[in-house]
Amino acid sequence: MKSIGLIAANDLRRQFFQPFAWILLALTSALLAWQFLIAFDAYLRIAPKLDAVANSQGATDLIAVPLLRALSGMLMLIVPLATMHTLAGERRANTLPLLQAAGVRSFDIVTGKFLGALALVTLIIAMAMLMPLSLQLGTHLDLGRLAAVAFGLFLFAMSLSAIGVLCSAWTAHPVLAATAALIIGSLLAMLDMGARFQGIDNALINWLSMSTHLEPFFLGLVASIDIVYFLLVTVLALLFAARRLDSLRTRG
Amino acid sequence: MNDSLPVLTLDQVSRQLSGRTIVEGLDFRIRRGEVLGLLGINGAGKSTTLRMMSGLLAPSSGTVRLGELDLYAHPEQAQRDIGYLAEDPPLYGELSVEEYLRFCARLHDLRGPAVGTAVERAIERCELGDMRRRLTGLLSKGFRQRVGLAQAIVHEPALIVLDEPASGLDPIQALRLRELIRNLADSHAVVLSTHVLSDVLACCDRVAILHHGRLRHSAILSELDASAAVLVRVERALTRDDWMKLAIVADAEPANAGRWRIRLQEGAHSGALANAIGEQGFGLQELRGDNNALEQVFVSIAAEGKHTGAAA
Repeated sequence: MKSIGLIAANDLRRQFFQPFAWILLALTSALLAWQFLIAFDAYLRIAPKLDAVANSQGATDLIAVPLLRALSGMLMLIVPLATMHTLAGERRANTLPLLQAAGVRSFDIVTGKFLGALALVTLIIAMAMLMPLSLQLGTHLDLGRLAAVAFGLFLFAMSLSAIGVLCSAWTAHPVLAATAALIIGSLLAMLDMGARFQGIDNALINWLSMSTHLEPFFLGLVASIDIVYFLLVTVLALLFAARRLDSLRTRG
Repeated sequence: MNDSLPVLTLDQVSRQLSGRTIVEGLDFRIRRGEVLGLLGINGAGKSTTLRMMSGLLAPSSGTVRLGELDLYAHPEQAQRDIGYLAEDPPLYGELSVEEYLRFCARLHDLRGPAVGTAVERAIERCELGDMRRRLTGLLSKGFRQRVGLAQAIVHEPALIVLDEPASGLDPIQALRLRELIRNLADSHAVVLSTHVLSDVLACCDRVAILHHGRLRHSAILSELDASAAVLVRVERALTRDDWMKLAIVADAEPANAGRWRIRLQEGAHSGALANAIGEQGFGLQELRGDNNALEQVFVSIAAEGKHTGAAA
C-alpha cells in the first residue's frame, strides 16, 4: 500500500517538472474561461428579462452546468493525454524494471500510476469549478447541484483514467495508448447515442453507456447505481492493466 | 539471510520465449562475498538469465531461490533483497540524483531517517557527491551508470545483479566502476554480465560462460590461471611434433614473437616442462604463464556459434 502512494506522488511530481502538465492545465483553463465569459456575457444581457419570468433558470443552469458539461467533453481528450505516459512511458524509457525489481506488485504499480494521473485530472476539474463558483460572489448558485456535477465529473474522469492506464499497459507507445484510450472512452461515452441513431433502444446498451450514468449528476441526482457503474469500470480496467503487467513477467 | 546458504540458487532454470529456447538447464550457486561474471557473446542469454535472477522474468521451468525463498513464489519479499541494474539505467530524467535515490530507497521500504542515511551512503560509495543536485536526464553516460548502480545498492541488498555495467564507459570510468564492484563484493553477492573479458578478469571471482543459452564453462578464475597454458621460447627451431614427444605436453601451437603456447597435461606444472626442455636440449630462453587462458576458452566456445548459428 505504501508503494501505491509513493508511485502516485512521484508521478504527479514528475508531471509538473515537464511542460506537458502545465500546458494541459493552461489550455484547458483558457478554453473553459473563454466559454465561461461568453456564457456570462449572454447571461448578463438576458438577466433583466429573466427577472420577469416566474421560475426562470438562473446562473447555475445557464452558466455553470453548460460549462461543466463542456468540460466533460474535454475530459474525453484530456484524460488519454494525461494517462498515455503512465505505463507506456515507463516501458519506453525502460524504467518499469525499477518498480518491478523492487518487489512492488503489479496491481500496486497500476494503482499508483492511476492515482498519479487522476490527481492531475482532478486538479483540472477543481480549477474549472472555480469559475462557476466565483459567481457566488454576485448571485446565488445551487451549490448542492454543483457538488453533484463535480462528483459526477470526478467519477467520469476516474473511469476514463483507468481506461487510459489500461491502454498504456498494453503498448510501449504513448501515442498509441492515447489513441486507444480516446477510442474506447468515446465508444463507451456515446454507445447509447450510436445505438439510437441506428434505431436501437436497448436497455443493456443504455446501461453500458457512460453518458447514461453521467447525465443524472448534471441534474443534481446522485444515484448509487451510477456510482457503482463508474467504480466497476475503474476496477475492471485496473485489474486488466495489472494482469497485463503480470503477463510481461511471465511471457516476457 | 543465513550466511551458510547461497545468496542465490538457480536449479535447472530454463526459459522459452515465443517458442524459442533462450536459456536451458542453468545451475548456479552464488554466495556473499563472491562476484560472478556471466560471460557470453551478444545473444548468449545473459540478459534473460539476469532478468530471471532479479525476478523480472519468470523461468519456464526450474527454480530461482534467494536464500531460502523461492523468488517467484514470494516475489515481493524476495525482491526487497535484490538490487538490479539493467543495461540501460532506469532513471527518471526529471529528478535530481538525490531525489531519484530517495525515491528508490522508499520503494525498497526504507522509511524515516534510514532513507537519508542510505542515500548518503550510496552517493558516497558511487562518488556522486558533486552531482547530487543535477538532473539525472542531464548526466553523462558514466554518471548515469553510477546513479543506476547507486539505486541498485541503496537498500543494501544481499544480491546485486548488474547487466553490462561498464557498457559505453570510457577506460577510466570503466576502471573506477570495476573498483567499485570489487568493493561491493565485501558485503554482497554480485552477478554481472559482460562480453568484455577484462571486466571479468578485473573484478570477478568466478566466471560462467553462456553460449546458445547453455552454461558451457564455469570456473574459479584463480584456478583457471593455474591451469593456464605457458608461453615458451627456445633456441632451436621446433615443430609441433617435437613438442608432442614430451610426455607432459598436451598440446602445442605457435604463438607470437617466436614463442610456443604449450598446454600441459593435467597435474603437470611449468617446472617439469623446464626440466623436460633442458633434458631435450631445446635451449630454454623464456618460460612464463599465459594469462590469455580465459580468452582462449571464451573464443573457442564462441567460435562454435559460427558453425551452428546463434540462439538468441
